[in-house]
Amino acid sequence: MSATAASPSEFRESRLERARSYADMFPWVWSFIAAIAVWIAIALVAGRGFGGTLTSALALAPFLVLVGVGQMFVITAGYGAIDLSVPYVMTLTGFISTGIMNGGHGSVLVGFLAAIGCGLLVGVANIAAIQLLSIPPIVATLATGLMVQSWAAVRAGNFNAEVHPGLHDFVVRQWGPIPELAVFTVLLAAVAGFLLHRTAWGRALQAAGQNRRAANLAGLRVNLVLALAYLICGALAGVSGALLGAYSSPSLGIGDPFLLNSIAVVVIGGSLIQGGRSNVPGVWGGAMFLILLVTLLGVLHINVATQNIVKGGLIILVLALAGSRKAA
Amino acid sequence: MSTAELRVRRVRQLVPQFSDWRELLASLLPGIALVGMLLWAQSLQSQALTYSGLNLLLSAAVPLVLAAVSQMFVIVLGDIDLGTGYLVGLANVVSARWLAHDPLLALAVFAGIVAAYMFQGVLVHLRQIPSIIVTLGSSFIWLGCGLLVLSIPGGTSPGWLGSFFNASPPLVPMPVWISVGVALVCYAICFLVPYGAVVRGTGANHVAVSRSGWSIVKVRMASYGLAAVFGILAGLALTGTTGSGDSTASANFTLLAIAAVILGGGEFAGGRSVPVGAVIGALALSLVGPVLGLLNVSSDYQTGAQGLVLVVVLAGRALTKRVEQ
Repeated sequence: MSATAASPSEFRESRLERARSYADMFPWVWSFIAAIAVWIAIALVAGRGFGGTLTSALALAPFLVLVGVGQMFVITAGYGAIDLSVPYVMTLTGFISTGIMNGGHGSVLVGFLAAIGCGLLVGVANIAAIQLLSIPPIVATLATGLMVQSWAAVRAGNFNAEVHPGLHDFVVRQWGPIPELAVFTVLLAAVAGFLLHRTAWGRALQAAGQNRRAANLAGLRVNLVLALAYLICGALAGVSGALLGAYSSPSLGIGDPFLLNSIAVVVIGGSLIQGGRSNVPGVWGGAMFLILLVTLLGVLHINVATQNIVKGGLIILVLALAGSRKAA
Repeated sequence: MSTAELRVRRVRQLVPQFSDWRELLASLLPGIALVGMLLWAQSLQSQALTYSGLNLLLSAAVPLVLAAVSQMFVIVLGDIDLGTGYLVGLANVVSARWLAHDPLLALAVFAGIVAAYMFQGVLVHLRQIPSIIVTLGSSFIWLGCGLLVLSIPGGTSPGWLGSFFNASPPLVPMPVWISVGVALVCYAICFLVPYGAVVRGTGANHVAVSRSGWSIVKVRMASYGLAAVFGILAGLALTGTTGSGDSTASANFTLLAIAAVILGGGEFAGGRSVPVGAVIGALALSLVGPVLGLLNVSSDYQTGAQGLVLVVVLAGRALTKRVEQ
């Protein structure tokens, strides 16, 4: 960078540069702008209150945010790191936790611990396949995902447990216009942001995602750092699945949409798919954008088929316009 | 890399070269897995390896074989296609709805799909967006289009398509002939024409290939176009074998096709084309269901067993590499 004073034309350029660098500092801003634009569009089209739309979107977002934050930690690890097992973990833990809580006969705590335990177990399997067998993450998590899918299918046979009424109330309860679960998820996202940006582990994870060799040479224990990311992802998917199971009773395939959506919210939120640079607010922004978008298309009476086309087209368009942002 | 050099490499690549027995073993692993599955089926059911037994065992394999080859043409670039499953589903419903009554319309749609896939290649290249995102977005588009064409499963297979895929050729059953044919055609594309060497070069080091005068955009377009063609063929095979169209039935083909390519020796880093391996990997994965059926195991375990096969083969490969080190 040159140290000389800028000429007028250079100054104009530098203002543009500065605007760009702000956008680089807060890459999640775009996802919120997009979400707000869709929100306004819904209000204009449907004439429905701003508040009602937001409340219903906030009620649905936590499930996606929880699993999206987990996916974000894994994607931060870079070098193709991604967790394809999350949708199946969600389906499975929905069954397992609901089965344990069994309509209020069992303990909610035990149900949740079992769900987290399942998630952690899958995380351990992922890590073992990736680090001990040197299988690429996308294939390792795909393979464990296939096995978990089977496990869920077996667990679903003869399944007749009811949703725990207390937990269901918690999942749908609102404080005024704000769903309680959304508040907890915001708090959890704050914790995740703290973990990512303010702890040694989070910084090590980002360093490993930017340049794994350099991180190794700098003395970071990269394998441990990465292992924790997969464990957190598994645990969060487990929690999300348990909550989803309580929200709408567990069924096979309930987690399937979260495979592509969990990746989409991370990327729309401005985290680099190549890893190394992630942010948590963007996961919220991306989730609100996707959910409000589906609401908008529903309000417009657009059928599911066209909804998918618009959603896919927008994902590509947003990212094509955002253009290339190389890993730092 | 000059053209002459490329030509020399091309000739050398015609002969597989192994530095030692471990590398040979590693490259034979998918084949060993396939033969193992076949022998296991034979031990469970003595009719398994007869003409009709083999026909039954492999009856559902052809669509996955074609989908795996489609995925391979993208993976060799170092890219990945998350849309394979819904692409196959789209081709499936388009052929089930229109191919019998309005073949020209069906062909026009297929041409459009190929063009859209080539455009994906352009997008990946020009905007430097990772392929995983572009194909993720477009997977929603294929699904949506598929649901628009047939919102509920249905349609019919044109007679000629059904009779082709259900034909009874001499010597070995139809799925075997088709698999061998697909493997040969893809081998020719990958190793006998300049495209193959250039595309492998692009996957390995695209800067070097573009400096030597090749257009990377064109390479990407060609590969994505080939991926679309084989994906569409997979959809046709599905229509021919099942006799109807369902845009979501093949959703898990995305993951199974990736698994088949990796099973067959492909690498995400790109630069390795494994046409024969991908076909063998797909055959091995599609044998899992029938073998479990012979074992009287519930079909719930099928996907899990497929995951297990993947892990075992990759673990074997990792172990042979470790011994090497």
